[in-house]
Amino acid sequence: MMFMTAFHHLVVGLVAGSGVIMGVCAALVWLSSYISNLESSKSTLDRAAYVASIFTLIVIPLAMISGNYSSTNSGGAMFYNKFLFSGIAFGFTSSYLVGRVRFGPELWKYSSLANLQMISALFSLTSIMILGSIGSKITLGESTLDILPFWPDFMNSIVINQWFSLFLVIIGLISVVISSRSSSMRISLND
Amino acid sequence: MKSRIIALSAILILLLATSSGVANPGGKGDSNRDYTCGGSCHGDPSLSSDSTAIINVEMKSTAYSSTTTEVSVSISDLDTSDNGLVGIFLLGSKNGNDDNPEDHGWTIIQDPNGGSSNYVEVVSSENQVTVSWVLLAPEDLGEKEIYVSIHHGSYYNHNNKAFIGETDAFTVNIEPIPENYPTLADGWTSPEERISGDSSTITVRTVNTESLMVYWRLSGESQSHQATVEMVSEQEWEVSLPATLGDTRIEYQIVATMGDFSNRMPWLSMGTSEPYFDGTSLGANLQSISFALIILGFMVSLQSWFAPRGVRKIIDNTAEVDKSINDDQELPVTDLDNEYWSRLMKSEENPGWLWDPIENEWVADPAVTPGGDE
Repeated sequence: MMFMTAFHHLVVGLVAGSGVIMGVCAALVWLSSYISNLESSKSTLDRAAYVASIFTLIVIPLAMISGNYSSTNSGGAMFYNKFLFSGIAFGFTSSYLVGRVRFGPELWKYSSLANLQMISALFSLTSIMILGSIGSKITLGESTLDILPFWPDFMNSIVINQWFSLFLVIIGLISVVISSRSSSMRISLND
Repeated sequence: MKSRIIALSAILILLLATSSGVANPGGKGDSNRDYTCGGSCHGDPSLSSDSTAIINVEMKSTAYSSTTTEVSVSISDLDTSDNGLVGIFLLGSKNGNDDNPEDHGWTIIQDPNGGSSNYVEVVSSENQVTVSWVLLAPEDLGEKEIYVSIHHGSYYNHNNKAFIGETDAFTVNIEPIPENYPTLADGWTSPEERISGDSSTITVRTVNTESLMVYWRLSGESQSHQATVEMVSEQEWEVSLPATLGDTRIEYQIVATMGDFSNRMPWLSMGTSEPYFDGTSLGANLQSISFALIILGFMVSLQSWFAPRGVRKIIDNTAEVDKSINDDQELPVTDLDNEYWSRLMKSEENPGWLWDPIENEWVADPAVTPGGDE
């Protein structure tokens, strides 16, 4: 479908843009704890990363849906990898957002939490970069990241049985519920 | 007046929406096609011109009915476009319909690209192309005609014309097959490709064959090797050819023997394809969602693990601020129990909070103002 192909290109650009804003701003907020020059911009950077993470969470599913119906869907290993890295990017972005919502802007005062947030944001950004690289490989046949000597070509993928994937979805849901409940109980105990 | 403007606007929009008509300079791929693609764009004299290429067809003028024969086409003096692409038709007539040799009783066992199409696209090298088709001759006896047609672009082609070349009829006399003539069974075609690394056998069906020998070689090599052949049933043979990797093509030649007579057939070729990928769209979606949820669960658990106890109190200081504003006074530390406060330990990770090792709880440090700044 031509519309879906054009729409997919649009949404992919939005994912890349918002993902970069989130990753870079989160890294700068984290650095502001060590670099005094960034202290004054800390609040602005934190808010920018916060809003960008919300926007990224909205556009990643749109990119997945439009990519599924676009003409670039070859159904091969590279396309499969795009889905996997979309899931990974979504997981880390949502982790970043959940952390920010749970602990507020004060979380950057706690080094362990700040490190965790920064890792979430950077892993999300890395996944989005890999997504862009795979997309470029599919449409253009090459990627700027080909210059790296260790960059995989993504011609193969790890394919898990569909039923086992469904089992993993259930395990994932349970783990999210349990981890959320345990953390809320822990907080309420100290209230 | 208003309706006229609407009508004119609609016409203008429709005119602007049309794209300029061009041929297919990148080709359309191998397929079964009639002469000039059935009289489409390239058949229009205003859109085409004569090619300067010289086409030479080599083929035995006599073929036995239902036996293999080879058509070799050599094209020289080609003036192609940048990509060097040439489309070559093997035809049984030049009517614009039913021109495929298979419409005239022939069977295409293999085209030059390993498939079984009458139209192939190849890239010329040094303005020359040589390709060959392997055909099974018609069952009908008598004279049959074979034509070859080509179309291509040109380096200097400002009018975007297609250049068309064609041969006169090459007449082949189909004679009755000698009694007990060993050959391939009617309807058998050569496999187009095998999966990379696949060493499974290929099945060959024959008629009137007492023994079968198969020779193989890699494309471009001259030395051939004998393959292992096993008869699995009457006139059905399994041939073991070595597995190929990458984009290698393997060629093989079948020699069918009956008594003292041997029929050495043309060389056939087989490509190598990428391994089959068994991932599905649904599987990718499920796996993607599971990855996202597992990562989220893991990271939320880590957040809980690293979160200092009572962190909510630190974030939400409204009550303490209100209290401090209303009371406008602080309790002096010296009034508190010295023994209790002396057992509390400061923590670098949780500034503003003191750890009580007896009660195992965090206590707000009264020496620190609300908000955490000392």
